[in-house]
Amino acid sequence: MLRWLILLSSAVVLAFTLRNDTPYTLPIPASFGHRYTIPADNPMTLEGVALGRFLFYDSLLSKNNTISCSSCHQQNRAFTDGFALSIGVNGRTTARNSMSLANLLWVRHFFWDGHSPTLEDQALIPMAHPDELGLAPEKAARKLQQTAFYPPKFKRAFGTDSITPLLMAKALAQFERTLISAQAPYDQYLRHQYTLTAAEKRGLDLFMRTSDPTKGIRGANCTHCHGGAQFFQNVFHNNGLDASPLDPGRQEVTGFDADFARFRVPTLRNIAVTGPYMHDGRFRTLDEVIDHYSEHVASSRTLSTDLKGPMHLTSSEKKDLIAFLHTLTDTEFLQNPAFSNPFLTQ
Amino acid sequence: MKKLLLLSGCLFGAWNVSAQVILKVTGEVTTPLQLQASDLKALPHTEVKAVDKDQKEHHYSGIPLIELLKKAGVTIGGQLRGENLVKYALVRATDGYEVLFALPELDPEFSTRTIVLADAVDGTALPTGVGPYRIVVPGEKKPARWIREVREIEIRFAK
Repeated sequence: MLRWLILLSSAVVLAFTLRNDTPYTLPIPASFGHRYTIPADNPMTLEGVALGRFLFYDSLLSKNNTISCSSCHQQNRAFTDGFALSIGVNGRTTARNSMSLANLLWVRHFFWDGHSPTLEDQALIPMAHPDELGLAPEKAARKLQQTAFYPPKFKRAFGTDSITPLLMAKALAQFERTLISAQAPYDQYLRHQYTLTAAEKRGLDLFMRTSDPTKGIRGANCTHCHGGAQFFQNVFHNNGLDASPLDPGRQEVTGFDADFARFRVPTLRNIAVTGPYMHDGRFRTLDEVIDHYSEHVASSRTLSTDLKGPMHLTSSEKKDLIAFLHTLTDTEFLQNPAFSNPFLTQ
Repeated sequence: MKKLLLLSGCLFGAWNVSAQVILKVTGEVTTPLQLQASDLKALPHTEVKAVDKDQKEHHYSGIPLIELLKKAGVTIGGQLRGENLVKYALVRATDGYEVLFALPELDPEFSTRTIVLADAVDGTALPTGVGPYRIVVPGEKKPARWIREVREIEIRFAK
């Protein structure tokens, strides 16, 4: 009888350790809404997210085991790296600036030019790129297969210990979907748990308002592109960095002339810690960014209509805007243990 | 020789631009459309008066959206009943901006106003950054759905 009992309990434990269907419930902020898609063939599970987190931080995914996704996407910088352009496995720089990974669940086109439609599609591209991780995903899968560590984790997450690039991408995508940032002082302000300083409030008003000289209203209309609870819209714009842009941006993806020099509008959440700014990292500080929009927007054939004509913000208005932008820094997100390097906490 | 190559390059470039698909009509349609500038020019046009952001009334010339829906085989007119009443048109711009119209808003059997895909304002072609096509909604107090640089109209079912 005891033998049967032991056998039964062993079977239960085994079934538990092999299960791959423990649902992961995403904490969706009500203001963010549910306009996102999780592929039906990659539902969120605790096991999948945990595996994706290990992969994200593992330098085995690079050609010479020196860098991982987290090298260019560091949590304390809202998953950016502090460089204008990132440095890849061969010591060469990437073509564009490392983007923040906050709130990717609501992003519909990945990369600065939006060439990936899903996180699953996106995940393997930096792995294979010679100036990023520099390792073909098939080779990465073989490396992981040879470890004692990963096959059981894939088994738990996906029901098979046969590691493939597709399963790696699925796990990475699951982890990235958990990176939700919605606990900044601005969010607390919306919940009446934080009082904006006078400068932050003035900055908020400038940020939200459209200028109307006939009514004496000053506004920077930042919300036109960076509006909504996530502080980005899924749109692509030429924001007037150059009169003769060198990088074709979105046009390389669509082929449309009207898309020349357009880039994805990034989130402004955690913007104070994600510099340098712009697709080429040309601005080191927020002061430089605000100066650009205020006085230095360059005209070219695809410049966004809403950026035509300088804003001429005063120096105190610029300071107010920057004060407001700092209220979007979510320290809980930057320090959340669930997003940190799991190899350090094991 | 070099000049000849340059000329042929220019001609090819010009042909390529003019042959480019300007507007797609997709989704819950019987005939998906990929329209070039010449196709759009050939469709029936009308003129509407509407007040833009500048608070001034302008004359807009364009294709009534209903004409595009007819051409694509969308369930309008007698077919706009029952579950078809939860269909909508998602209009998408070059930059990715999107706005939505319920089908009855576009159907003259339901609505008294004509929503158009405008290509000219006050007799002049729409400028770069606004055109070549822009939605104009006469009578709408806030022109936020007057989406510029329209590239695609997708008909969907609300689920």
